[in-house]
Amino acid sequence: MKIENEDALDNFVICHKCFTLNEEIAIKDGSKACCSECGGVLYRYDSKLIDHGLALSLTGFIFFVLANLFPLMQIDILGSEQFITLPKTIFSLFDNGFYIVGFICAFLIFIFPLMIFVINMLLFLLLKMKRGEKLTKELLVLLSHITPWSMADIFFISILVALVKLVAFGQIHIGVAFWALMIFVLIDIYITKSIHLSEIWMLRKRILLDKDNK
Amino acid sequence: MIEIDEDKLIRCPVCDAVNIDKGKKNACRRCGSAIYHHRSFSTEKSWAYLITAMIAYIPANLYPMLVTSAFGTKDESTIIGGVVMLWEHGSYPVAAIIFFASIVIPVLKFLILIYLLISVKYPLGKDKKVNKHKLYYMTEVIGPWSMIDVFVVAILAALIHLSSVEILAGTAATAFAISVFFTLLAAHAFDETLIKENR
Repeated sequence: MKIENEDALDNFVICHKCFTLNEEIAIKDGSKACCSECGGVLYRYDSKLIDHGLALSLTGFIFFVLANLFPLMQIDILGSEQFITLPKTIFSLFDNGFYIVGFICAFLIFIFPLMIFVINMLLFLLLKMKRGEKLTKELLVLLSHITPWSMADIFFISILVALVKLVAFGQIHIGVAFWALMIFVLIDIYITKSIHLSEIWMLRKRILLDKDNK
Repeated sequence: MIEIDEDKLIRCPVCDAVNIDKGKKNACRRCGSAIYHHRSFSTEKSWAYLITAMIAYIPANLYPMLVTSAFGTKDESTIIGGVVMLWEHGSYPVAAIIFFASIVIPVLKFLILIYLLISVKYPLGKDKKVNKHKLYYMTEVIGPWSMIDVFVVAILAALIHLSSVEILAGTAATAFAISVFFTLLAAHAFDETLIKENR
């Protein structure tokens, strides 16, 4: 294989699933390119990626705040009402002396999901204003390090499992935060599925090239 | 013009950029991160994390995960005990979810990682390269789901703490959380570029 220089390697993509080398081709707006070997999605092209990303991450952030402020669920047990919120779940682990689990949970279900959305907002805002060359790079690197550790979706499934286990104890009421968390998780899944980090890198490169040409 | 071998191209694990494999001092040309810098001890880092995870998985199964104390009587249940109890109570889907998340996924992940780690050093499996990459991708995707049980225990413990009826997390919760944490680290530390054809 012959190439002009190292930068020409940007025209190639290696598949996430099977590590096959694919050549990058121009595709229609809104469509996706798939791997020639396993059919996994390589990248998508979205001409309004910045606006979509900004809107999604802002919405997700608002729902995350709501999910933390209001009770997730409430249970009437032996005449008294008990409720939990997302932060309370983590704090009660610390109260009971489970510091390691509390620490791990705090990062997995609170700090990392929050960070991802804040970073996404900042990132798309900076790209929209075409500023912060270095900062966007740092943010993208940070984002790729924390994304595999965000487990808000798994926490949501855990709530469903806990609901079934709790039926034996008493009357359960589902709170506002439960629905807010559900929407947050859906947005989170949508973002991780539809916006790959490599697409943001490509976008960043295009913006930088535009800037240089002017 | 530079001539390169296609096998020499690697993907940056951080930003997915295609890079030329230059041996020990690989730095990604796009994001600047080091690409598998621990080349001199290629699989050992992953092995270390994996063994830690497997050791932590033993107490996770022996100690109680959930301690329910109702009106003076204490009831402790391990992970398997909890699954069996749920199954007997008739909540089959939930029992299946917990069984998969806490038993099948961790054990499967241990086995796949052991297989991959051995097979990159010794010609053990004659599996195709593509299949091994897919196997690795699968462990990365299903891995975090074993945290379900820990989260469920955290929710139950936070919600039910009255003087007469109380649910507490058990020792196994800590052990299990540590085990999952280290399996995730082990999977991340695995060097995908070591997977070669017919080895």
